[in-house]
Amino acid sequence: MHTQFFGNFLLNKGVISPEQLIDVLKIRSSAHKKLGTLAIHSGYMSANEVEDVFITQTHYDKRFGELAIELGYLTQEQVDELLTIQLPDYMLLGQILVEQNILTHVEFENLITEYKSIYEIYDLELIEEQQHMVDKLLSNFYLPEDLPHAEYILSYLTLLFNDLVRFIGEDFTTLDIINLPEVPVSFCVSQEIEGTFSFLSALDMEQDAAIAFAGRYVDEEFEEFNEYVNASMEDFLNLHNGLYSVNMSNDYSMELHLQPPQSHENTLLATDHPFYMLPVIFSFGTINFLFSIKKMEDSETHMQEDEVSDL
Amino acid sequence: MKNVTILICDDSILARKQLKDSIKKCGYDNFLEASNGQEAIDVYKEHKPDLVFVDIVMPIKDGVEAIHEIREFDPEAHVIVVSSVGTQTQLKNAIMEGARDFIQKPFTDSGIREIIKARFEGR
Repeated sequence: MHTQFFGNFLLNKGVISPEQLIDVLKIRSSAHKKLGTLAIHSGYMSANEVEDVFITQTHYDKRFGELAIELGYLTQEQVDELLTIQLPDYMLLGQILVEQNILTHVEFENLITEYKSIYEIYDLELIEEQQHMVDKLLSNFYLPEDLPHAEYILSYLTLLFNDLVRFIGEDFTTLDIINLPEVPVSFCVSQEIEGTFSFLSALDMEQDAAIAFAGRYVDEEFEEFNEYVNASMEDFLNLHNGLYSVNMSNDYSMELHLQPPQSHENTLLATDHPFYMLPVIFSFGTINFLFSIKKMEDSETHMQEDEVSDL
Repeated sequence: MKNVTILICDDSILARKQLKDSIKKCGYDNFLEASNGQEAIDVYKEHKPDLVFVDIVMPIKDGVEAIHEIREFDPEAHVIVVSSVGTQTQLKNAIMEGARDFIQKPFTDSGIREIIKARFEGR
C-alpha cells in the first residue's frame, strides 16, 4: 500500500507530474497482484474462498491474510510464503517509472534511499509493520498541527486508506490535506456521524470518476451517472463509517451513530466548521474526501446542531 | 406456495436491487418497496406483506421505529432487520422491538436463502 506515500513523495519533490503519476498508476493497477490472487495462483485457496474473505472484510477491519487464517483457508506459513512473492509496492511503482523513461535507474535508487532514510521503512514488506507505518507516514505527511485528538483522525484516515485499497483498488496516491471554509462539490455524498466525536464526512468527485468508482465498488459496468452510481457512493461511505464506528467502540469505548447518507450535486457544502479535504488520485480520476469536525469532547457536553446547508 | 409478498425497505436503491436479485434466486418475485421507515409502515398497513426486510439507518423514520409501529399494528408481522456494520446498538433495539432475525450487509445469497426457507418452506 505504500505506493500511495511514495507517489506523494515523488510529487512533492517535483520528480514527476500528476499526469505522469496517473499514467503510471494505470499501468500498475493491471500489473499488481493481490494476496488473494496469489493464493489462488499457488493453489492454496479457491476463488470462492477468496470471495468469502473479501465479504468478511466488509464486516471486520482486518487484513486479508489474517482473516484467511481465521477462516481456516491459509496457514501462517502459507501467508508468509505468499508475502515473500509480493514486491513492495513502491518498488513496483519505481520500476514502472524507470520503464517509462521518466526516471533513470540511478535516480530511482537515489530516491528510494532518500525515501527510506526519511521514513525508515526498511521492513516495509513485513505486513506486521504496515499499520504502524501507515500511522507514521500519515502523521508525517498530512496532519494539520492545530487538529485536536489527532489519534481519532489518524485511525479514521488509516481505515480510509485500507478501505480504498480493499474495495476500490490500490492504484491511488494522495495529495496533502487542504483546509477550506466551505467546499464547492460536483457529485457528492455526505454522512453525519454523531456521538462524543461528531463530524461530517463526504466524498466528492466528477461525474466520470463517480461512474468508474461505483463500477469498481459493486463490480458492475455503469454507462452513465444514475441512481445506482449515486447509491454505490453512499454505500461505500456508509460502510467505511460503519467500520470506523466499530473500531472506535472497540478501541475507545466510544459509541458513534451514523445518520443516513445524503447526496448533493453541483452545490456548496458548508457547515459552521472548516473542512479538511484530502484529494485521492486514482487512475480513473480524483476523489476528494472531505471531513468537518463538529465536536470532539466529553460525552456530557451539549451537542451543537450544525446542519449541512445547500446554499 | 410462492404467491407471497415481500416488502423491502431501504433508503438505498442499490441495496433494494441487491436484495431483490438475491430473493429472486429463491423463486420469489412479488415485491413491495419503501425507501424510509414511514413509507414501510404505510405500505405494510395497506398490503400486509408476508415478510419484511428493514434497513436500520433510514431517513424520516429509522428501522427501529418502523418495526415498533409495524408490530404494534400487527403483532404477527415477520420482520427481518438488514443491518450495516457499525449499527450494533440499533440492531439490539430492533430485535427488542420484535424483529425475528437479522442479516448483515453485504449479505450472501445463502444467508438470504436461509431466511426465505425458514419463513416459507420450513412449515
